[in-house]
Amino acid sequence: MKYTESHEWINLQDGLGVVGVTEHAQKELGDIVYVELPKEGKQVKAGEEAVVLESTKAAADVYSPISGVIVEVNHALTKASELVNKSPETEGWLFKIKPSDLKELDKLLDPEAYQAMLSKA
Amino acid sequence: MDFVSNKGPQLQQMLEAIGVKNIEDLFCSIPENIRLPRPILDDGMSEYDGMKHMEALSAKNTYAGFDNYLGAGAYEHHIPAIVNAICSKSEFLTSYTPYQAEASQGMLQIIFEFQSAICAMTGMDVSNASLYDGASACAEAILMALRHRNDRSKILIARTLHPHYRAVVEQYLASHDFHVDYIPFHKDGRIDQEAFHNLLDHSTAAVLLQYPNFLGVVDDIKALSSQAKKCGALTILCANPLIYGLFSSAAELGVDIAVGDCQPFGLPLQFGGPYVGYMACKEDLVRQMPGRIVGETVDTKGRRGFVLTLQAREQHIRREKATSNICTNQALAALAALIGILWYGKEGLKKLALTNFQRASYLKSKLQSLTNFSSSEAVSFNEFAIDFDRPLEHIMDHFRRHGIEPGLDLGRYYPEFKGHLLVAVTETKSKMQLDHYYKTAVAIRGR
Amino acid sequence: MSKTIFEKSQREQHAYSLPADEEEFQRFLPPQNLLRKVPLPLPEVSEIDLTRHFSELAHKNVGIDNVFYPLGSCTMKLNPRVNEWAAGLPGFVRTHPLAPEETIQGNLQLIHELLEILCYLCGMTAGTLLSNAGAQGEFVGIRMIASYHKKRGEGGRKEILIPDNAHGTNPATAAMAGYTIITIRSNKHGDLDLEDLKNHLSDRTAGLMLTNPNTLGLFSSHILEIAKLVHESGGLLYYDGANLNPLLNIVRPGDMGFDVMHINLHKTFSTPHGGGGPGSGPVLCNDKLKEFLPVPKVELVNGSYKLVWDEVGSIGRIASFHGNFGIYLRAYLYAKLHGNFGLRKIAEASVVNANYLKKKISGLFTVPFSQHCLHEFVIQADNYIDRGIRAMDIAKRLLDYGVYAPTVYFPLIIKECMLIEPTESESLATLDRFVDIMHKIVEEIQTHPELVKTAPHTKPVTRLDEVLAAKRPILKHLTLNL
Repeated sequence: MKYTESHEWINLQDGLGVVGVTEHAQKELGDIVYVELPKEGKQVKAGEEAVVLESTKAAADVYSPISGVIVEVNHALTKASELVNKSPETEGWLFKIKPSDLKELDKLLDPEAYQAMLSKA
Repeated sequence: MDFVSNKGPQLQQMLEAIGVKNIEDLFCSIPENIRLPRPILDDGMSEYDGMKHMEALSAKNTYAGFDNYLGAGAYEHHIPAIVNAICSKSEFLTSYTPYQAEASQGMLQIIFEFQSAICAMTGMDVSNASLYDGASACAEAILMALRHRNDRSKILIARTLHPHYRAVVEQYLASHDFHVDYIPFHKDGRIDQEAFHNLLDHSTAAVLLQYPNFLGVVDDIKALSSQAKKCGALTILCANPLIYGLFSSAAELGVDIAVGDCQPFGLPLQFGGPYVGYMACKEDLVRQMPGRIVGETVDTKGRRGFVLTLQAREQHIRREKATSNICTNQALAALAALIGILWYGKEGLKKLALTNFQRASYLKSKLQSLTNFSSSEAVSFNEFAIDFDRPLEHIMDHFRRHGIEPGLDLGRYYPEFKGHLLVAVTETKSKMQLDHYYKTAVAIRGR
Repeated sequence: MSKTIFEKSQREQHAYSLPADEEEFQRFLPPQNLLRKVPLPLPEVSEIDLTRHFSELAHKNVGIDNVFYPLGSCTMKLNPRVNEWAAGLPGFVRTHPLAPEETIQGNLQLIHELLEILCYLCGMTAGTLLSNAGAQGEFVGIRMIASYHKKRGEGGRKEILIPDNAHGTNPATAAMAGYTIITIRSNKHGDLDLEDLKNHLSDRTAGLMLTNPNTLGLFSSHILEIAKLVHESGGLLYYDGANLNPLLNIVRPGDMGFDVMHINLHKTFSTPHGGGGPGSGPVLCNDKLKEFLPVPKVELVNGSYKLVWDEVGSIGRIASFHGNFGIYLRAYLYAKLHGNFGLRKIAEASVVNANYLKKKISGLFTVPFSQHCLHEFVIQADNYIDRGIRAMDIAKRLLDYGVYAPTVYFPLIIKECMLIEPTESESLATLDRFVDIMHKIVEEIQTHPELVKTAPHTKPVTRLDEVLAAKRPILKHLTLNL
């Protein structure tokens, strides 16, 4: 599992990157009422906005940690946006991306570095 | 005069508490070289003089003395007396946008009921809390359709859409790269369905039609919307909501977004505003809809209550990614429209629409019987075009000398309709008045 | 349980009456195939029940006529009833927007004179009353800026600079007008960071949108330098007039260097908020931009007023007809009653009231900016977070004390903030009472925090489930589904 400074996580599974937001992020956002998912097949660059998480008082951008093509989105979130709050790092995954450059993963934070970042803040 | 409460004694006390000697000290952050000196002479007015001034100004308007047959998006209707009585209640008139929901259940419920009434009339799934007017509602609907179908970049707009509304749509589209085609019409005022079919293609995001159209004609919206749907384009219908009292609803016509102006309900002519734009759409489009939306929910004790909801679409949260920049809307005017709609109610609205249709048809048929004058065979609602087949200047003069403002010179907007007058007839016109119009027209024919 | 009007329907009851019918009208019937098949699902209610329904709703709402409304950035001043009286005069009410000019000279004179008054007040040379709200005024102004650059062959200027503490309509408007937004930081004094501004000015800059005083109630003393920098880069300056109240006859946006601006008549000029509108957002500009103003325009020619419907260079239309005439009519009378003399009193009194209130409650909260404010000020309630209390809770508890809550959580950049604007309308006694109430609430935070945390307690409802409202939206009366 790798992390970004903007609180996204990415897990490589069968050649695809599964992406979601961290426990910290969901706590900051509060109750998620709607998840604006991208279209399957969309191409994104690392750091580009991919998903929007809406609470009643805010809309937060979720950035893709790496570049590639979004091949699958978590359709369950359309009816059950609360999954992002309940299990942000498992069932509440947002999308799966086919990476275009695996080397980009090296630029991301490993779990210890992410935890360190959180405790500094 | 002014409405500043605090006078000398209080101001003194307050300046002391703040810790400054003069009021000017509080403005020290403003560069001295651009600060204005305090005016010495009182150039204001007393309330009495102000009222006299306004009476004199309003007396310079002579329009109210004429029998009004002008329509074109602003219609003279009976305004029930309770509209003003309710709208002028302090708790509504002087209240703010209902962000603090617990203290604003009144206004929130009103907006919820307005939304419900719009959905009732149009047959659509959801409505917003109002837009400025019919023109901006059309523009916002187009932007909404383009967001929804962001893989397409063409819009088709009927040439028979209100020219002012078309101009406002163009304004909203001016800074974007979308392509607009205008749908032509036949001599009788109906949309050219064949031309429409040829213009439609798979780059069309939406089509914008009006019902009845600017020329007063009721088009076959159902046929047009199904053609659009086959092409994957959305249909936006701009309608005088009164028509829904009698004629097919937007939903029955296969429309995706219903917009227009609620001015015919509860709002006087007022030289063009404030009116009320409405927008209603199918459920799957709700997140793209601009403007405030009120929803029902419960409080901590499980009691029903109302709140502003889906706010993440709006400018105060989404900022540059908002569905629109709209903040202040037409809330109180929406209340006036709601009261107007409810005063008529289920049966009344139907009868009101019918009597509008009948009175307009009565005048239209009498004018048609004067063989020099012709009007379209196409179906109209409460407005129609009549061809006097001669320069309108003298005709208008003649009518005005008989106390009638006969209608709008259509040649102003449509060169092919030079010499035509657009005549609106509502329930405010009695048989006596309509016969007077007819007799005046007869006299013209003699010239 | 509160009922909607739809739930008060009783078969065949109604309020309406229709003008006398005639037999001759009866023979005209619309074609059957065009008629609606689904009967109108509207309620059937008698006039007395309709009347009582809205009275009930009025009891569940409050306006400035009822309570103190210190909403920052909204300028909730008294809405004088004489304005309502004027707006109801039949001579104004019954004019059709397309009526012949000779028959509406009163309306045209009003428009012409009001624009003259506003231009004089703001140091501008021309304007329009066509924009129906502040946000629409912003759109008009930005479109005019776009036309200006386009005319000069500088259509490549695609960026609008906006401060981080700007009202949400600013970036939303710029985006609607097709621009890229560049956010400029504010410094620790709440002022625009000049270095950040300089770094972002370029030949891609179309303009800067600024509110002065800003959304923190602070006047930027560097305004002349800011104007110079933006103009030197070839950009124009847009003034968001939401905070014009404290500047009336004190200083003029035109003199500050602004090229185009809007005014919120429903703020500065007392037109009623009506529960969210209608408002009016006139746009004023200097000579650089006046050819781009929207149509129609009103001109005085040989002693009579004329409407100019089309003009080369104009950006075109923005409204169906003449904008919210009924609204700016009220502002016109308000301006005439005050004169420049009275308008100055408004500015001065609004600033005294704000500074007084700030002084009196600053002991209870964090005051991020200690310098004198103008008409509004920001405080932070972050010192109560350890008791589990946030700014929103204090706002809700204020409702129990018969005061409408100040603006909370705007501007977004200040944590747990409350933006307070008393306006010039309020008397010393009202302000002192507000101070007392704040003291009481702060005491409650210490002794009974739960009372504050779960406020309000005296309203028709307690706190509402906004999450439910957003997740399972019920946006209309449900039995409309036929």
